[in-house]
Amino acid sequence: MKLFSAKSNKVYKIVDVTGNDDSRRRLLDMGFTPECRIFVVGTAPFGGTILVSLRGFTVALREDAADRIEVEAV
Amino acid sequence: MEYSIALAGNPNVGKTSLYNRITHSLEHVGNWHGVTVSKISKSVLFDHKQVLVTDLPGFYSMTVYSFEEAVSRDAVLSGDHNLIVSVAEVNNLARNLYLTMQLLELDVPVILVVNMMDELKKQGKVLNYRKLERALKIPIVPMSAKYHSDVHLLLEVALDYIDRYDGNSVELTYLDRLPLKDVEAVIGENAVRAGFKKRYAAIKVLEKDSFVLEKLALSEAQTKALETLGDWQARVAQYRYEFIDSVTEGAISRNVSDLHREMHEHEKHAVPIESQTGQASSANDVRKSVSEERHLKRHDKYAEKALYMHGYSRIDRIVLNKYLALPIFLLVMAAVFVITFGLVGNWLSALLDLGIEKLVYQPLTSWLNGINTPGWAVDLLGDGIIHGVGGILTFLPQVVLLFFFLALLEDSGYISRVAFMTDGLFRKIGLSGRSAFTMLMGFGCSATAVLTARGLEDDMMRKKTVLLTPFMSCSARLPVYSVIAAAFFTGGAAAAKPFIIFAMYILGAAIALIAAAVFEKGVKKMKSGKLSFIMEMPPYRRPTAERVFQLIMHNAKVFLIRVGTTIFTLNVIVWLLSNFSVRGYVPEVGGYSFLQSVSMFVAPVFKPLGFGEWRAVTALVSGLVAKEVVVSVIESFGGPAVVFVGQYAALSAVTFMIFTLLYIPCIATLTAIGKEIGRRWAVFSFVFQLIVAYAVALVFRGIGLLFCISPGWTAGILIGVLTAAVCALTAVSYLRRRKSGCGGCCGGCNGCDRSRK
Repeated sequence: MKLFSAKSNKVYKIVDVTGNDDSRRRLLDMGFTPECRIFVVGTAPFGGTILVSLRGFTVALREDAADRIEVEAV
Repeated sequence: MEYSIALAGNPNVGKTSLYNRITHSLEHVGNWHGVTVSKISKSVLFDHKQVLVTDLPGFYSMTVYSFEEAVSRDAVLSGDHNLIVSVAEVNNLARNLYLTMQLLELDVPVILVVNMMDELKKQGKVLNYRKLERALKIPIVPMSAKYHSDVHLLLEVALDYIDRYDGNSVELTYLDRLPLKDVEAVIGENAVRAGFKKRYAAIKVLEKDSFVLEKLALSEAQTKALETLGDWQARVAQYRYEFIDSVTEGAISRNVSDLHREMHEHEKHAVPIESQTGQASSANDVRKSVSEERHLKRHDKYAEKALYMHGYSRIDRIVLNKYLALPIFLLVMAAVFVITFGLVGNWLSALLDLGIEKLVYQPLTSWLNGINTPGWAVDLLGDGIIHGVGGILTFLPQVVLLFFFLALLEDSGYISRVAFMTDGLFRKIGLSGRSAFTMLMGFGCSATAVLTARGLEDDMMRKKTVLLTPFMSCSARLPVYSVIAAAFFTGGAAAAKPFIIFAMYILGAAIALIAAAVFEKGVKKMKSGKLSFIMEMPPYRRPTAERVFQLIMHNAKVFLIRVGTTIFTLNVIVWLLSNFSVRGYVPEVGGYSFLQSVSMFVAPVFKPLGFGEWRAVTALVSGLVAKEVVVSVIESFGGPAVVFVGQYAALSAVTFMIFTLLYIPCIATLTAIGKEIGRRWAVFSFVFQLIVAYAVALVFRGIGLLFCISPGWTAGILIGVLTAAVCALTAVSYLRRRKSGCGGCCGGCNGCDRSRK
């Protein structure tokens, strides 16, 4: 499942970060690594941007970035 | 020997706070990432040694993502610094150490500062930094740079480490899991040629770092050889994090004494004693145990979430609520403006104004007149200086308050929330939520706000943000609205004054957003690249009393210096030029002073706007140096009532306000734009703003005139035009949808069918 379509207020586990460019590297560098647990906090007022927590910090992601992150429910 | 140390670390870990502490500076700090956009350094004397301290912009990794991060990477790679002080934040230790690990991989001298220890203490936890020290084999200094912390200890540790540094002895075991030897065998020679350490270059090649790859200039055969190794990008990051997790595991634990105290104080966590002894049969007790159970459940739930949600607090549930977020934001901004301009600021300003008039102007002029000072000298001092410059000086409380509130928005962390909640809107017009930072800062000062756009990743997006920020009404424009509105809206209409000022702010912001939309949709060359928005959300933080005091004093100082130098000088020059001609002192109207003779040539251009008069034009031209001068010049001419004359003087005055809002903010901003995005864009911005200002003012004037002549007809025409506009928009979007053969946003039912095929 893609992170963007994940439900709010639930914990997931990252499976993979797809793509092959700067954004992927940035996501990996920030800690979106496989096996890491991630919590979806909510959606922005206009939609298209979500708020997630992982490794003890909270980060806002746009749809295109969030769509690269494959997660599965735990 | 001169020592050189650089502060490096993730964004928003408090590097600049630490820098300010060490060097006693007042560099801009804020609770959001990307406050520092260029490196700054200062030399301090410590223990009879000269230490050059450099503050670098925040970065997550040596593989960088934006312009300002590259500055930091280059500084680290340059080897100019004897020591890199890796600054980490205790709440985010794992992700912060990720950068520290890369510094260790690079094998440069590093020590680690763990900042924000105060926040850990508040949570009742302790950090076992000895454990980290043993694993990483580098000195670690825990600190709280926000408060007076032991900077001396840090410097002592740093200088001592530089003196005895003999290579890093840490064992980076995770590197053994990577095929570094294979990569080194392929790229070894290139790495030496490019000036990289082999191991570092090999790691970066596995990470596909475009900067390193470019420097290495690999041949096609080499690239092919590397491809056979497979994709290691994700695994490099994963192994690094796994290593960090093994190091930090158990390093932060709950303070034992706190745990103990809580057990005693919080009876619900202790084992219930009496209710278990068989007497718990009454309904009351049953209910109690149910509520207790619920309480404990909530605790468990919270504990689980707390693990994942640092930076997201319970306030955010309301502040970032899908439906409440924007109304709350508007309320916050309205509150800021009401306090700054209405309640507190206005009162203080009026007090200051009264003081200047009664205690300085009147006694001084009557005394000078009494001793028969020449008329021009009295006028220069009275009108030119005291009324002109003093008129600006009365805005001291409002400007300081405005900057104070903007700083509060930054320091609290709310500004990052604003960026998050407005991102959806900004994305539609080709900007990003991060543009909201820059634009909000634009309410303070356009010239400094422009610099904050540097953190934006997309080049075009950055350019557009820089171009549009000057439309945000900066603090220097406030006196213009305030003085002119006060002159024309008197008596019963005085209540309209705050609304007119607020309307100016809204208008500026609206023009910026509309212009962004036009650039994005209408000008192909200015379309933003599709970019992801990845922004960290800092936790809410409270500014210290020291910081509040610092902010107020600093802003007051900056404002006073500005008034005392630029505005004062300019005012005197304008006054002299406008009151003297070749014939000498000519204070009366029609005296044809130097300035009047020149401005009269330009003035007709502004005839259609209703202020085609030499005084108004002079004010606008001198406003190019600093916008406050617009109003101080008007004041020294005798006030708005003298400058705006004619049948619809009030309308002309408001049109003038709109023009002032939208035309070039000041030379300093233009220079900043030129520096940030190039001289050609600065010229474009100059022309663009003049055209927009003129066009908007003209439209407003037209509607206003119609309204003055016949309100009924104007309303009718406006309704007609608006209806037509809505119809046209609907028609255009309908046609566009038809054209793309799409039945709805996602293509409707047909869309699914098509994708299935």
